Amino acid sequence: MSLLSVSDLTVGYGPVRALAGVNLELAEGTITAVLGANGAGKTTLLRTINGLLRPRSGSVRVAGQEISRLAVEDVVRLGVAHVPEGRGVITELTVAENLRLGGLWRRDPADLRAAMREVYALFEPLGQRREQPAATLSGGERQMLALGRALVSRPRLLMLDEPSLGLASRITIELMAVVRRLRADLGMTVLLVEQNARSALSIADRAVVLNVGRVVADETAAVLATNDTLRHTYLGF
Amino acid sequence: MTHVQESTKTSVPESTGTGVRGSTLLRHLAVGVVAVVVVLLLSTVLDPYRNLQLTNVAYLVCAAAGLSVLTGLSGQISLGQGALMAVGAYVTALLLQDGGWPLPLVLIIAVVVTALVGVLVGAAAARLRGPYLAGATLAFAIGLPALADYRGLASTLGGQNGLVVLSPAPPEWLAEVSFDRWQLGISTIAAAITLVLLGNLVHSRFGRCWRAVRDDEVAAQLAGLPVARLQIVAFVVSAACAGLGGALLAFVNGLAAPGAFPLTLSLQLLAAVVLGGLGTLPGAVYGSFLLVFLPTWSASLATRLDLSRDIYANLPLAVYGAVLVLVMLAFPSGVQGGISRLIRRIR
Amino acid sequence: MLRFLNLTLGGIGTGVVYAAVALALVLIWRSTRIVNFAQGGMMMISTFVAWSVIDWTGSYWLGLAAALFAGLILGAVVERLVIRPVENAPPLNAVIVTLGLLVFLQAMAGMIWGGEPRSFPPAFGIVGFKLGDTRLLFSPSDLFAVLAVMVVMVLLGLVFQRTAIGLQMRAAAFAPEIARVLGVRVGRTLTLGWALAAVVGALAGVLVAPGSFVSPNAFDAILVFGFTAAVLGGLDSPAGAVVGGLILGLLLSYLAGYAGSDVVTLGALAILVSVLLIRPNGLFAGSRGRQI
Repeated sequence: MSLLSVSDLTVGYGPVRALAGVNLELAEGTITAVLGANGAGKTTLLRTINGLLRPRSGSVRVAGQEISRLAVEDVVRLGVAHVPEGRGVITELTVAENLRLGGLWRRDPADLRAAMREVYALFEPLGQRREQPAATLSGGERQMLALGRALVSRPRLLMLDEPSLGLASRITIELMAVVRRLRADLGMTVLLVEQNARSALSIADRAVVLNVGRVVADETAAVLATNDTLRHTYLGF
Repeated sequence: MTHVQESTKTSVPESTGTGVRGSTLLRHLAVGVVAVVVVLLLSTVLDPYRNLQLTNVAYLVCAAAGLSVLTGLSGQISLGQGALMAVGAYVTALLLQDGGWPLPLVLIIAVVVTALVGVLVGAAAARLRGPYLAGATLAFAIGLPALADYRGLASTLGGQNGLVVLSPAPPEWLAEVSFDRWQLGISTIAAAITLVLLGNLVHSRFGRCWRAVRDDEVAAQLAGLPVARLQIVAFVVSAACAGLGGALLAFVNGLAAPGAFPLTLSLQLLAAVVLGGLGTLPGAVYGSFLLVFLPTWSASLATRLDLSRDIYANLPLAVYGAVLVLVMLAFPSGVQGGISRLIRRIR
Repeated sequence: MLRFLNLTLGGIGTGVVYAAVALALVLIWRSTRIVNFAQGGMMMISTFVAWSVIDWTGSYWLGLAAALFAGLILGAVVERLVIRPVENAPPLNAVIVTLGLLVFLQAMAGMIWGGEPRSFPPAFGIVGFKLGDTRLLFSPSDLFAVLAVMVVMVLLGLVFQRTAIGLQMRAAAFAPEIARVLGVRVGRTLTLGWALAAVVGALAGVLVAPGSFVSPNAFDAILVFGFTAAVLGGLDSPAGAVVGGLILGLLLSYLAGYAGSDVVTLGALAILVSVLLIRPNGLFAGSRGRQI
């Protein structure tokens, strides 16, 4: 069964349609990349799944449950974790506080502490800077923090919005490697929105390409990587 | 081809003095004159108490119209309009103490002095925004009346008891006109002049510039508008209006005392303007009517329902407060937007 | 010298109350970016409630507890019903709503308790402590006020820095959308923030009441002083609110002592305007740039 099922999703701001009739199926334990140019609707898709935006029509189901009318806080409680565009690290709080925040809603302090230890083990720089304000972190470290914060809530579905934005390519490669490990070790289902199509395709199982709010391709990553026409037209390489 | 040429010939309006702006002024003047005549005629048939109520409405219209322009048009929240009225009132009282000054001159001086105070307040306010501006004008509204108690000025300003105003009698050629009608006439003419002048200002370049600053200050600045100067001018204009209103208040009530200018007056003026329609001039008129007649209505309602004195004394304020809150909640995009939306729907 | 000492102690006594009001304003500003102009009105209602309870039961402590409880409920109800709709609207809307609420609360108080000023009993004696032969202008009641506010500050600090809900409230204040994405029920934290702020304000109202008579308009000036103290310390800084309150209390005390008490309100106005013009972000300015 699909963990995430988006059918005929239409989202609009007034007369503008950011998403028009988008269909998407996410199988459990897979990494799906959502690709496309700026303004194609990728971030809108994530924000709608998360509940930050209300669709005009269509449905979003997580494990069979309809979530398009739920508030953000309730979607999160179904195990959907969103790492927003630009990281969304709260700079006024410390690293530890940012991490804790991600898992407070579970109301399980012991498990939260354990989860935080796992994140510190996964991302060494975070472990070393626990009590420092998040403002002192570099771009790559902030991405680790944002990712760690999502992991602390032990999500079923992890949604990443342009994680490579503003990061050096070496760090992007490390980041993608971490995401692949998450899929391998934890069976995590990942929805990866990326403008950097090449790095996304390197770890994705499936790839969906959006253009002006519509799905123009929905293939396995391997097929997409070898389809020159699609790549040139929509992905720029 | 010829079609295009014809349209360009007639599309640009003449930009001489009798152009678009001229006709607006004439239109406003006509309405103002008619309104004054109507009120004067009405005053002959109404009893003195009603005339007094209408007089109260008239001088409140002056202050309210200025506030409506300041807060609604240039987007600056001022909680100090009542305090500025006090300035006009005290100037009037001081000038009339010696007697001999003709009334129109006294009113003009009161307006000018209050406008000068408006320059000071406006200069300070030009750098403040939103809640900071509201808080500063709030402090001004509470602090200024306290000046009357200040040791050094208490003798000149009469302390808590205030100054008695020797209202000049009507001139001989109006000798048969009763005092209340005389007061109503002066106040109505003043209010009409205020509304006409403000109406012109609202439709002028100033009005457009203020709206631009209100809607997006950064964009206005980038477009080259002198934001600070515009904001100060708005304050000066509204202060002048408040000064006129306060001067008339002193003239009508025969007294200028701190107790007549509590914080609630400023809040009530704001309430009147918000209810009537922020940024509109008719709104200032509706609001002022409400300010004067609501206490009377609630008093008669209270006696009919046999409510206690505590309740009917506070009923008008309770209604103002509730209406302010409810109107703001019902029109989240701003009252002006709400009302024009309604008007569009009705049309 | 004694005069200076007395003025200083007096300034601390009043400053601590200004600090509490400023703290309430700062808490609300930090969480909802609104200046609560109705703060004085809310304080007045909770103080009247205390007065009524003391009148029935004769117990000061029951009255104080009632005031704090009334503040809690009032703060929560106001946020949920009146403030929530204008939280994301232009600032003018929130200003008008809080002003309307102020007028409404004052009118309500007038209807329920009448306009006559009531006297409010102090917690402890109001006769000053004795220092050798001289009597200081600092009484057990003043000491209680200082201790009470300090205790409240420490408790609030602990709640915000050490508890889960405190962390959620801070996150919701700094970055509401991100907090929501992390599962924080932001609406509830805002309600809680207002409720806590109202409790602090209620405490301030009860502490200042014995010195002045309680009437619907009694707390207008307190709002101005509290706002000035909050601006002085920086609207974003709770610590600044407390420091600002103490500084304001001291300054006004010296002003009243050396220049006469009729200048006090004007003095506060002058301080407010000066701070707004010279250093609008207050003494403890954070690094919040203006959002364009």
